[in-house]
Amino acid sequence: MPTLDLEKIKKEIIDSQLWRSVFRGGVWKDTPRDRAGHIIGNVWLHLHPVKLRPRALKWTYTWGMGGISFALYLLLTLTGVALMFYYRPTIGLAYRDIKDLEFAVTLGMFLRNAHRWAAQAMIIAVIAHMVRVFLTGAYKKPREFNWGIGVLLLTLTLFLSFTGYLLPWDQLAIWAVTVGTNMAGATPVLGNEGPLGALVGMRINNDVRFTLLGGTMVGENTLLRFYVMHCVAVPLLVGILLILHFWRIRKDSFSAAPYTATEEKVDVWPHLVKREYIAAAGTTLFIMIWSILQNAPLEAIANPNVTTNPSKAPWYFVGLQELLVYFDPWIAGVVMPGLIIVGLVAIPYIDTNPKGVGYYAWKERPFANTLFMLGVVMWFVLIYIGNSLRGPNYAWYWPWESWYMLKAAPAPTWSVFGPKGAGSYSMLIGIPLMGAVSAAWMLLPKLIQKELDGKKTMGAFLGLVAVFAAAGLAMGKMGAAEGGFLLFFLGASFYFGFVLPQRHIRALDWPRYLVTMILVISTMSVLLKMCARLAFNIKYVLTIPSISMNF
Amino acid sequence: MSYRKAFIVSNALMLAAFVWAFAKDFYAPWRPYQAKYYQMAADVMEKQAAVEKDPTKASNLMAEARKMRHSPMEIKQIIAVDLGRFDRCVTCHVGMDEYTNTTLKNDFTENPYKAHPKVDTALIKAHPFSKFGCTSCHSGQGLATQVEPAHGWVKHWEKPMLKGVTIQGSCVKCHDNFETLKGAEVAAAGKKLFNRHGCQGCHAINGRGGVTSVDLGDIADKPFERISGYNFMRVRIDGKELANEHHDSHWNIQNWILAHLVNDPVEVTPNDPFAHLNSEPISPSGMPDFTKEISRAEADAIVAYLSGMTKEEVIPYRYHVAAAPVKEPALSAVAHGKFVYAKYGCQGCHGLDAKQGRRRFNGSSNAQKPYDEKMSETERYEQMNIGAEPTLPDLMGTYTHEELVKKIEAGVPASDATRWSLKGPMPMVYMPAWRGKISKQELDDLATWLLSIAKKDDSGF
Repeated sequence: MPTLDLEKIKKEIIDSQLWRSVFRGGVWKDTPRDRAGHIIGNVWLHLHPVKLRPRALKWTYTWGMGGISFALYLLLTLTGVALMFYYRPTIGLAYRDIKDLEFAVTLGMFLRNAHRWAAQAMIIAVIAHMVRVFLTGAYKKPREFNWGIGVLLLTLTLFLSFTGYLLPWDQLAIWAVTVGTNMAGATPVLGNEGPLGALVGMRINNDVRFTLLGGTMVGENTLLRFYVMHCVAVPLLVGILLILHFWRIRKDSFSAAPYTATEEKVDVWPHLVKREYIAAAGTTLFIMIWSILQNAPLEAIANPNVTTNPSKAPWYFVGLQELLVYFDPWIAGVVMPGLIIVGLVAIPYIDTNPKGVGYYAWKERPFANTLFMLGVVMWFVLIYIGNSLRGPNYAWYWPWESWYMLKAAPAPTWSVFGPKGAGSYSMLIGIPLMGAVSAAWMLLPKLIQKELDGKKTMGAFLGLVAVFAAAGLAMGKMGAAEGGFLLFFLGASFYFGFVLPQRHIRALDWPRYLVTMILVISTMSVLLKMCARLAFNIKYVLTIPSISMNF
Repeated sequence: MSYRKAFIVSNALMLAAFVWAFAKDFYAPWRPYQAKYYQMAADVMEKQAAVEKDPTKASNLMAEARKMRHSPMEIKQIIAVDLGRFDRCVTCHVGMDEYTNTTLKNDFTENPYKAHPKVDTALIKAHPFSKFGCTSCHSGQGLATQVEPAHGWVKHWEKPMLKGVTIQGSCVKCHDNFETLKGAEVAAAGKKLFNRHGCQGCHAINGRGGVTSVDLGDIADKPFERISGYNFMRVRIDGKELANEHHDSHWNIQNWILAHLVNDPVEVTPNDPFAHLNSEPISPSGMPDFTKEISRAEADAIVAYLSGMTKEEVIPYRYHVAAAPVKEPALSAVAHGKFVYAKYGCQGCHGLDAKQGRRRFNGSSNAQKPYDEKMSETERYEQMNIGAEPTLPDLMGTYTHEELVKKIEAGVPASDATRWSLKGPMPMVYMPAWRGKISKQELDDLATWLLSIAKKDDSGF
């Protein structure tokens, strides 16, 4: 019996005309040239560089989140296309088609679950990727532009998920989208309920919300619009930006810093490619098992006459919805998210600290890391509150409390400055006062030349607040809870909004300093407004009803 | 673990997960039911073949049995186009599928194998499954192919399968003549009881009746979103709490209606009479307590009748059966007055035959103590809870015939309703204006009868 010479067979296959016509390069000899050729000669792999720094291979450095996000995007495209074969975007058929997917289509439920869960996972992966890139300073020169593309991709990921949320056409869908799109109606100038909107002739049937919905309420047109945006328009845009994103990573080179000045780079094939494969496979496996064990939610068919109580936006926007408790929609739904996006894009241009590129550097970048992580933590804490602690009538329910227990209506609120505020001229006092306080807060950290001692300053401030609270307590105007709120929120705002900037960014040039302070103070305003509401039932600090502008 | 191993393991696991997903999908819950039905039906045919004397018939039966045994597994459905029904019930209930079981009869006694009962009756013959589907009468989720979702015993499916006599409500959807219809006797009795106890005095049905409370013309469509779980948890049926979740089929509209008849509605919907949760006190349910008047079986009949009150389902006109017009009985003025009293549901508030006004929260009654600021909340609640609608014979003596007619025509707005406590909760139950709803002749006779039962003033004035 002749022995089977595998090597010979392999060589013959690879040298055959068929193989050579499909794959470039000859017999694989695992030389550096072969490995480079593998990357360069393959249309899918050639977006990678040929070599990269060893640090860029470390899971602890990359978390694999960029790759996982892309793997999820591919998974979503695959499952999404499969679902499109069964789904018709009309209000008469959409819900029934989803029921068919659940009950009659082979693997229909699995596909729908996988699509749903992959979409949720992608949001988390994209945010985690952004956090990683921030913490390793990977957005700094020369990668500012690519960071901007990344922020756009994050926004589009959220928008993709949001447009997909409507398609099942159940109660969950229409009310989540109603909450989300009503915020658009509060856009300053462009929305009919936003400040200055009425002034420029915005009505319910010609504003930006109308454009988004194709009507004055979520209906047939909205479903079609969201379907087209979800399946065609946004994925195309994301695809284009992804190519740009990957190409810039290659051109700007991976951010990972060398361990030693003389270190050799390593081959991308196989070191990076195998890691990418494992990340993608693990992600797919995770989504598959999740989809087998847990079904995607589907509530009763959409009914515009029956509002669910509570109605909640998709979870990733629930943080903004939670802000609606404290702010008017134009701030919570438009200005805040706008500032987050603009602020994120601006970060590489205002962060002039040259240190901490390509490695984790808490000590070298205390201000940037602290403020960024504060923002991320606030975002998720607000999501947790809105998602898990809000029950019927958007009242506060602890996790151990039944939603079938009735809660007292919130205490009546009041406004400090404005027509119904304290005193008849309070608006005239309020506007300059608010302006003066903001300006002072904005300028003081830079104007105080000498670096303040953090502990002493904080101690003095907290002491002052404590004295104030004690006075309130003694006069019976305040309880212990109110005092606690004051200490916590004022203390946090003072530390993050004044002490930290004073110590770390007062040397920044004026334009960068001012932009940074605007972002910092906006973040702190959330904490301060929460404090005002929780401790003193203040609805607005300043209200100008004639142009529906309330702060 | 090396990457080579991880590569192999992850690929193997992905494959395994896919096989798992596919298996879970393939071995759907309906499959064993359908398979078992085929085997059972084939067994029956083989037994028949064994005792069959004619060899041709026997071999035909054997061939049929073989075909049955090897029938393909499939999702079966009835598409009732006119009624917009897509019912996959016959996927498991194969005995009720005309294509598998052409006679629609079998000897199986157990669900889901047994055939539909009474297929020879005029009732079923008039409602062929292919035209009506299953859910038109039985309700439930026709599209589903799993046990609990299909019967509607899940969260977010608000029309679960109708149980017992409640199914007669489905007759009411098309048959306006259900009161004389064979097979709809319970629903007909329900309507009689509904009218006898005066429900229509406050609850109009499709605009016919009083406007004090909600029109029940579409009560079967009431979304659960509008019924608080807080209220559902207060319901006691046969002395037992309803199980504490939506999705075990106990929280449904039938039990919600029943809850109002076998519980004191004030206990089911207590609201907030002392403003503990709101800035203003809010009245509990204004509905009187019918528990002593209506038995459990009677309540079930009313529920069956009201289960047919739906507007959500679009039923083509040709499916409707009109009722014969109802004739007014020819009676003397006094007797007709008494008839009119019952016809418009006055007894819903003023009591059967006007003998005793029913409970009206925070209304005034002779049994009450005078309002006192110092009373505890419990005492005040007790006093408010024994407030009552006027007992008519006590009052009628002070009215002339014309005054009485005017009073009924105008009603008593909530703002004029007498209250035991002025700080008590709002809104008060009020008397609607009956002008235009009760004809002139009927009003005259009603007043005549009311004056005839008025207590005479014996005090000498």
